[in-house]
Amino acid sequence: MTGLLDVKGVSRCFGGLKAVNDVSFRVEKGEIFGLIGPNGAGKTTLFNLISGLTPVSGGILSYDGVPLNSLPPHKVARLGIGRTFQNIRLFKGLSALENVKIARHSRTRAGLWGSVFGFPASHREEQEVKQRAGEILALVGLDNRADELASSFSYGDQRRLEIARALALEPRLLLLDEPAAGMNSAEKHGLTQFIREIRDRFNLTILLIEHHVPLVMGLCDRIAVLNFGELIALGPPAEVQKDPSVIEAYLGGD
Amino acid sequence: MAEFLNNYGFLIVTVVQQALLGMSLYYPLSAGQLSLASPGFYALGGYIAAIIGTAELFAPWRDLLGKAVFPLEWIIAGVASALLSLVIGLPALRLRGIYLALATIAFVQIVRVISLNLSITGGAIGIFGIPQLFESRWGYIWIFGPLLAATLLFTWRLEQGRIGRAFRAIREDELAAEAMGINPTRYKAQAFIIGGTLAGVVGAMSAPFLNTWNARQGTFDASIAYLAYVLIGGTRSLWGALLGAALLATLPEILRPLNDSRLIINGMVLVIVSIYLPQGIVGALARLRGAGKKKGVPAGGKT
Repeated sequence: MTGLLDVKGVSRCFGGLKAVNDVSFRVEKGEIFGLIGPNGAGKTTLFNLISGLTPVSGGILSYDGVPLNSLPPHKVARLGIGRTFQNIRLFKGLSALENVKIARHSRTRAGLWGSVFGFPASHREEQEVKQRAGEILALVGLDNRADELASSFSYGDQRRLEIARALALEPRLLLLDEPAAGMNSAEKHGLTQFIREIRDRFNLTILLIEHHVPLVMGLCDRIAVLNFGELIALGPPAEVQKDPSVIEAYLGGD
Repeated sequence: MAEFLNNYGFLIVTVVQQALLGMSLYYPLSAGQLSLASPGFYALGGYIAAIIGTAELFAPWRDLLGKAVFPLEWIIAGVASALLSLVIGLPALRLRGIYLALATIAFVQIVRVISLNLSITGGAIGIFGIPQLFESRWGYIWIFGPLLAATLLFTWRLEQGRIGRAFRAIREDELAAEAMGINPTRYKAQAFIIGGTLAGVVGAMSAPFLNTWNARQGTFDASIAYLAYVLIGGTRSLWGALLGAALLATLPEILRPLNDSRLIINGMVLVIVSIYLPQGIVGALARLRGAGKKKGVPAGGKT
């Protein structure tokens, strides 16, 4: 296994607050890597740093050898980093199919005139987009509701649709921000299976933030624990679980 | 028929022309950008056509080209507006929502003040006696009509494909669009440029149609009027601008017998539509059709 994402001494300050403070770890290819920590530990900030939505204050982020530090989010996405959002950011006024089609943007090339005049290449591409989007919706089990508005979906289905949208980008690294939030226990169990399935099927590397401890322990190959912006533990689930500093961070010490 | 055209020809052409101007505002709106810059480009296009049509400097062009000078005016106006929209759009589109609207209003004002003070634009008097392309007002339907048809077709095709999807994605959630690999700056600028170019071409076609061109052509009032077409017609459909323009441009004529009180009714229509039909007329029609369909499905059935 070789490293796909390299986080080296990365920091992010918001005014005087160090939301992420000198964090280093490496995510290996094909791994399911969990990022856990109490609320406000800096997990989502770290996701935003990786996907380019927030600029880093210091340190180096690199993906497959390419430095990410100064790239805008759309270029990061183009490199093959897909993500979902903690508070679900679907295109709510558009259909499920359109949501997925949109993510094919960086994998297609039709320009203004190609689209308008329907040049053969653009036409073919459009057919492919449609077919591919349909396949991905089928994969998450939403193909029978392709034409319904994203806003009409239940919370769990919106989460699945958001994963489908991220998959349509053809990522090699998938960032999942609390994918199980708001799901019932049966759905959570299904999600574990599903994440493994897509990892194998698309040769993905997955970095995920999750609060639900059994899910993280059962799913992840390795786990990093953040607390107040600092990395306090890193390793396989069984080790991290026993780490005294992790127990202290979650339950409170002294 | 001749009498009908005599009476209403001008009105019909005006509706088509106003619909085109509404469309010019629809593109940035479809990418989530509230831009009111259209009258600025419309004024610019009109001045270009008026100056080429009347200035001594361009007399050789007119002699050489005859009527072919008109399409040349449209092309020059289109190119000039496209370039200017690029120059204005790139910095202005960094602003969001109401701030973009304000910046574009400022642009319209700048164009107006400049044209009021330059001698080439005829100052406050403007340019008059612009050579005609057709013998009657009605004749202009032969340029505005095809332009509207082409614009609707263009828009329809655009919205089916990759670029239209990028516009919608940015409108729905710019940040998520960016995380999905869409460069928002690029597509916002594209939408803005398409709108600006269209407004410029319509201006160049309108200068002969209106015979005179002055600083009153591109004003804040016009910004609001075009916005009203799109809002009343429906912001989510390419037919919105046409329907809105048809309603709002003919309403004052239909209500002419009421004299001054017609303006009150005009205003009331605006208020009523925005309260009761928030999605515009097209949105309301789509909902009606949706409701009609659902009735055919037995209770509990999936639609």
